[in-house]
Amino acid sequence: MPSLSPMAPAPMPRAGDQAGPLAARLAAAAAREAAGDLEAAEDILSAVLMEAPDHPDALHQAALVSFARMRRREAVSRLERAIAAAPGTPLFHRNLCEIQRARGELDSALHHGRTAVALAPHDPGAAYNLCVVHSDRMEIEEAIRLARRAIALDPGMAGAHFELAEGLLLNGRFAEGWEEYEWRFRLPNVAPPLPQTDRPQWDGAPLPGGTVLLIADQGFGDSIQFCRYIPQVARRCARVVVACSIELQPIIRQQSGLAFCFDRWEQAPAFDAYCPLSGLPRVFGTDLPSVPAPVPYVAPPPAKVGPWAARLDGLVPRGMKRVGIVWAGRPTHGNDLNRSMPLEALTPLGEMEGVALISLQMGAAMAQVAHHYGPAPLMNLGAEIADFTDTMAILHLLDHVVAVDTSIVHLAGAMGRPVSVLLPFAPDWRWMRDRDDSPWYPTARLFRQPAPGDWAEPVRRVCAQVARLP
Amino acid sequence: MSVFSSGPCACGSGLRAVGCCQLDLNTLGPASGSRHLLPVVDEAIACHARGAVAEAERLCLEVLELAPGQGGALAVLYQIRKAQGAASAAEALVRRLVLIDPNNVWATQELALLLFSSGDLGEAEIHARNGVRIAPVDPQSHNLMGMILTEANRPQVGEFHYRRALELLGDRPAILLANLAWNLKNQGRIAEARALYEESVAHAPAVVQTLLGWARMEETDRDFARADALLDQAEALAPAHPSVLLHRAVVRGRTKDYAAALAILDRIEQHSAGEGLGTNELLEKGRLLDKIGRHDEAFAAFAAGKRKHVEQSGALYLADEAAQMTARLKAFFTSGRLRIVPRAKPIGSGPRAMFILGFPRSGTTMVEQMLSAHPQVSAGDELPLVHDVANMLPRMLNSPLAYPEALADLWMGDQHEGLDNLRDYYLQRIRQLGFMKPGATHFTDKMPLNEMHMGLIALIFPDAPLIHVLRHPLDVVLSVYSNHLTHGFYCSNALETIAQHYVLMLDLVEHYRREMTLKYLPVRYEDIVADQEKHLRRMLAFADLPFDARCLSFHENRRYARTASYAQVAEPLYDRSRFRYIPYLKHLAPVIPILEPAILRLGYSIHA
Repeated sequence: MPSLSPMAPAPMPRAGDQAGPLAARLAAAAAREAAGDLEAAEDILSAVLMEAPDHPDALHQAALVSFARMRRREAVSRLERAIAAAPGTPLFHRNLCEIQRARGELDSALHHGRTAVALAPHDPGAAYNLCVVHSDRMEIEEAIRLARRAIALDPGMAGAHFELAEGLLLNGRFAEGWEEYEWRFRLPNVAPPLPQTDRPQWDGAPLPGGTVLLIADQGFGDSIQFCRYIPQVARRCARVVVACSIELQPIIRQQSGLAFCFDRWEQAPAFDAYCPLSGLPRVFGTDLPSVPAPVPYVAPPPAKVGPWAARLDGLVPRGMKRVGIVWAGRPTHGNDLNRSMPLEALTPLGEMEGVALISLQMGAAMAQVAHHYGPAPLMNLGAEIADFTDTMAILHLLDHVVAVDTSIVHLAGAMGRPVSVLLPFAPDWRWMRDRDDSPWYPTARLFRQPAPGDWAEPVRRVCAQVARLP
Repeated sequence: MSVFSSGPCACGSGLRAVGCCQLDLNTLGPASGSRHLLPVVDEAIACHARGAVAEAERLCLEVLELAPGQGGALAVLYQIRKAQGAASAAEALVRRLVLIDPNNVWATQELALLLFSSGDLGEAEIHARNGVRIAPVDPQSHNLMGMILTEANRPQVGEFHYRRALELLGDRPAILLANLAWNLKNQGRIAEARALYEESVAHAPAVVQTLLGWARMEETDRDFARADALLDQAEALAPAHPSVLLHRAVVRGRTKDYAAALAILDRIEQHSAGEGLGTNELLEKGRLLDKIGRHDEAFAAFAAGKRKHVEQSGALYLADEAAQMTARLKAFFTSGRLRIVPRAKPIGSGPRAMFILGFPRSGTTMVEQMLSAHPQVSAGDELPLVHDVANMLPRMLNSPLAYPEALADLWMGDQHEGLDNLRDYYLQRIRQLGFMKPGATHFTDKMPLNEMHMGLIALIFPDAPLIHVLRHPLDVVLSVYSNHLTHGFYCSNALETIAQHYVLMLDLVEHYRREMTLKYLPVRYEDIVADQEKHLRRMLAFADLPFDARCLSFHENRRYARTASYAQVAEPLYDRSRFRYIPYLKHLAPVIPILEPAILRLGYSIHA
């Protein structure tokens, strides 16, 4: 994800400034901001702006503080005033580009991104910010071009490599995409997948007597998607161990050839090489025609199926289609605002006759069930789901699942269950583009937003699909 | 010693407080200690018997000053105060008699009757049951149980005791027959009730109450001509009797002769010697005015009726109690805790419960009438059983805590099947009530505000449908305001408190929905009015019942529902009950800020 750049070095004194004291105050504000005390920074900057309301650097700096304080509209207005006062400053446009992008104002973002690139053609940051705008606009060729340009200007710019990876993978250019995807652990604020080690990352070479350590490095969904490679790893290595959270273990443990799972680094055995699960497609040279999709490769624990079958029989009226729903992901996910929807967006599904909505939603978004007063009954199963073993058993018993891009989609797909995936206009790379199926999950059908924020159209198409269910 | 203790007691007994309501029963000596006063007591009894009330009173006060626990003097003084209409004094005296001698049958029965008359059915029942325990073959013990349980909406139990009283008497007194008739009317057994009324009136033709009860039964059965004839007879016996007139007005209202109904109410007012109309008359007047579109006057009548009720009963909304109870329920019923609370096991056989939930006046009666017109569904009506289960839960689980916290005892090795026991208790009571019709597989429980206990219901009956009837909150508040209701912590006496309680209950329902997996279906009253068949099908499908067209003509369902809604449900669905609040918007302005978030959340809007 791009970030905003503060004023490079110290603000330039401008004609007519009482340069000394003002620059010192801006520096003080910057120090407060860097220390995380946004309120103090805001106080200083507001006071400065009272005295010098059109000071471009003060306005710019204040805009960044507004943005950090989640006052996005105020950030835009301050930056627009800064640009009015100093129209030729590329940094102002570059930052306004990112702020407008974060607000979903993609036209304005494009305009300011292009202005920044025109004003500073050698600034990799400007190229990168504009690249991200094109990504969000699904102008993938242009995004790839700008990512390459940013990399040419700054070969170590991890964000641009990652953006390039996303673009290539979306386009199905897997070989180069996987290579660029390796930059993900070098993104700012991304922790390495494992503690410091002198062991190498596994390159796929057979380890007949050795141990390979796999790490469930990304979210639950990624781990469910890539754990399908574990049996292949086991064919090349004597012993496969997986570091993964306790929640994932019932899924990971089902993969054949696994020696054991652990969830704390102190339990880690000695190993000869390591690999993040999300690095395995690269290791195995996965290309579009060779995506392994051995579904189902996850099954519900038999002991859970009986009790959940009885529970669902009691809850769901006979003859109704059981449609599982999930409308929101983990709110800390970078793209959650775009990939999640309010439950209200599924209203047309809740108005279908003969449909019972089985909510598998967990977390804070679960609270939205209380405000569903639509005609279709909605059963809030999230209140009784303890872990993925429950979720697997329920998925096994549902007629269909409708979900946004969350781990449920991966789980249903891995189990070979029918699932309709509601995707944002600019989806994650794994859903690719311009297709309604997924090489990774043969039982998934993809429903894409035709424009950013427009859920109505894909939800309508999902309803038509649900209506056709036997 | 308190400074007040030497003064006269506030209850109005005429005794000093220290020898009356502040009396410490432990200080009383043995009865034999006051034997030297017995001649005075005998004299008081004799005086009272021959009508020398003042002398009897003087003697009793004299005896009780010396021996405050003297039973004979307490009994005579009680009768004197009761005859004078000094209700609190009479109650204090008869309570003392029962406390001093719990085996005093007469005093126990008197106390039960007195509490029954003042509307305290809960405590009346306790003493009536004691009456049966200490005098099991006394017909009056059973008669009291009959009266109290009939009014407490357990008419099947009441019928048992009335019949036992008849059996013990070996005779068929007219009043008892009329009481049994009223009981059967409440069970919807109209033909049996009519036969009993006929028998009662044949024995005793001049009892106004009997004729009134019978007239009300005929009105319920929509034989308005017969009701009128009976009211004619009653009026001949008691010209201008306010109850007779009120019922005449009700009959006129039901035949849509609103002008005549209002004229009758005016007559009552003229005869009231400046007292004005009572609560029931004022509310009836308001409802009649509403029907003819005189909304401002109607609202004024509702407001006056509520004011009068508060003046007379002192019943105000128990806001703190309601808020505390809901806060405790919310604190206990959380998904984290409930994941490890065992649910009751599904029922293998026997009748299955369906819960019809909703704020009073939301349309729950109508929904129950619709559903119970189905051959597989019997109407349980307003069953007090969920409330009973909540009350007895701590005892059943052997917990030192109260409900809901007592549910924590389900984690004990010897209580983890406790919910099964509660379920079996509930179902056993259902069997005992005997309302299941042949062929029925389901029954409804539509106790208003059972949503308070929705969490408990879902623990005990995890598979039972919870049908939540919703109606525009402003319509609900207006309708509760225009009727006399005791549900909901006495919220119904002021617009604001009705709205407050509405919001409190909706919040609680939403809390349960967030925290629990519920078999919950919201159904809008307005939708049923707009498309009855569609929503009937939804509800039946939700309860796994086949569609049955008889449910559509539910107004022909002869079952009588006891609630204030009965007159409406006996008519086909009508559109004017939707959005009735609109002409009252200016009167409802004070509650709009309270209700607006709920109105919007439920998908309603406010039309000007």
